[in-house]
Amino acid sequence: MTGRTIVITSGKGGVGKTTATANIGTGLAMRGHRVVVVDTDIGLRNLDVIMGLENRIVYDLVNVIEGTCKLSQAMIGDKHDYELYLIPAAQTRDKNSITPEQLREMCAELEKEFDYVLIDCPAGIEQGFKNATAAAQEAIIVTTPEVSAIRDADRIIGLLESSGLHRPKLIINRIDPEMVRRGDMMDQKDVESLLAIEVIGLVPADEQTIVAANRGIPVVHNTKSPAGGAFLRIASRVDGEDIPLMDLEPKNGLFSRFKGMVGMNGRAYSHA
Amino acid sequence: MLKTGVVQVIARGTDVAFVIDENAPFDVVAGELKDYLSKKSGLWSKGDITINVGQRMLARDELAKIKSIIETNSGLKVTRFWFAPESLDSGDLKIEAKPTTDGGPAKPAAHNEVVLPEQAPQTSAKSKSAVESIIESLKSRQNKNGARNRNITEALFIKSTFRSGETLHHQGDVVVLADVNPGAEIRADGDIVVFGSLKGWVHAGASGDNKAVIIALELPSPRFQIGKFLGVAPVTAHRQPKLSASGPQIAYVRSRSIHVAPFAGRFARYNKGVPYDG
Ligand SMILES: Nc1ncnc2c1ncn2[C@@H]1O[C@H](COP(=O)(O)OP(=O)(O)OP(=O)(O)O)[C@@H](O)[C@H]1O
Ligand SMILES: [Mg+2]
Repeated sequence: MTGRTIVITSGKGGVGKTTATANIGTGLAMRGHRVVVVDTDIGLRNLDVIMGLENRIVYDLVNVIEGTCKLSQAMIGDKHDYELYLIPAAQTRDKNSITPEQLREMCAELEKEFDYVLIDCPAGIEQGFKNATAAAQEAIIVTTPEVSAIRDADRIIGLLESSGLHRPKLIINRIDPEMVRRGDMMDQKDVESLLAIEVIGLVPADEQTIVAANRGIPVVHNTKSPAGGAFLRIASRVDGEDIPLMDLEPKNGLFSRFKGMVGMNGRAYSHA
Repeated sequence: MLKTGVVQVIARGTDVAFVIDENAPFDVVAGELKDYLSKKSGLWSKGDITINVGQRMLARDELAKIKSIIETNSGLKVTRFWFAPESLDSGDLKIEAKPTTDGGPAKPAAHNEVVLPEQAPQTSAKSKSAVESIIESLKSRQNKNGARNRNITEALFIKSTFRSGETLHHQGDVVVLADVNPGAEIRADGDIVVFGSLKGWVHAGASGDNKAVIIALELPSPRFQIGKFLGVAPVTAHRQPKLSASGPQIAYVRSRSIHVAPFAGRFARYNKGVPYDG
């Protein structure tokens, strides 16, 4: 078996890389794949918390790389009944504890056993970014519809291209459809025309995401939630399914009211 | 396969191709071909022939000369010329990533700058000869026709979005067939032409040529430079995005400041430009 190693990266911090990694990983596992997610944010690990696996950590990424433990010993099985595993980052070390070659080697090992290896990349363009991107053959870039996040995403795309990672895909996270409707937030077209790469998903701002993260159960488990549904569709697209992107609609927008009137099943933010 | 040095004759079944050495000078090729055919005229009494020119660029009259050599010295008919133009985009347009040498401590991200080789961007002798021979043939044709001495330059083509953090310095003209995004920097000793939206920072005539111009399909960039002059978009251009979205724009230096006007040709008279002085 040769799995696909995909890095989830952004440049700017706090835009939703870890959230996306947890949810796409879970989504792919829900679709029946063997998935491992790797947290490379050494020193600032989060992925374990969002996935509710913090209490089970014994060994971590740096232990594997340094040979303190076997690869399989650092893999923590998900709480749910899926073939989903986490390799947590070390919390007491820094980004220079591993090299790009070492991570590449480890991922090559994982690719033999898993369909998908997802790498949660730290923010920034320094060592941590270089480690995470060197190990992957594909990249997903997460941005929010804000100018600063988009500038950073543009920079990241340039860096990925110059290191041979071509055609990254884009997730636009935390879209507020009401603000877009008012013209106070960039929409998909604005972002797409600036970054000139393929959009693989639009995720609405959804407080369920935060509630789910606090509970340690990624929001994709709740497929009826706006963000959960969006992440499941992204996982399907990553998996090669052709699901068209749809406009997000505001909660109280004209369109959903209209739908309500004619008795259609108009749920707020019903697609992405 | 028969071999005469610079001209190879490859026969595969009923198909025949003449393959000409890419690096041999034209006169040598023509001479060899003529010798070969007149010696073996009996062999080539009838048939169609393809000529593979390889990576060399031949002027139209040179192609015609080869055709006539073959057709007068044999019974063959030249039906097709075959070029291998790939050398042009892979070789000449290559942007080499290398550590910058002049980046001070203020630029910690030196590793990811995109810098061109100091000299003209030639990575192989083959692509060099291809570009040079185009230019030479264009120039010589001009001289022959007694045409006005137009400027013919070696432009650098960039065919993908030029992104934030990417920098480039080219000692000639630069053409970008995509957008130049905010945070990107291009310096060209010649003109800069952007077939897309120019939002980044560019400097045309970077070695001091105030006659250089910047042309872009859209010019929302707030600041750019031509020669020693700095252009700063007037506040109204920001307030009225339509102003900058009304077709291709040209920026040029006039009475010691930069002006921007709708593009009407490289040498048009521009009277009604908007001064870009902030
Ligand atoms: N679609 C969303 N709706 C609402 N909140 C969200 C959404 N996506 C992410 N968040 C919240 O945003 C915060 C940052 O998300 P996350 O930790 O995934 O970002 P990150 O890019 O991994 O950050 P860092 O750069 O620090 O690693 C979290 O509190 C998360 O719950
Ligand atoms: Mg994170």
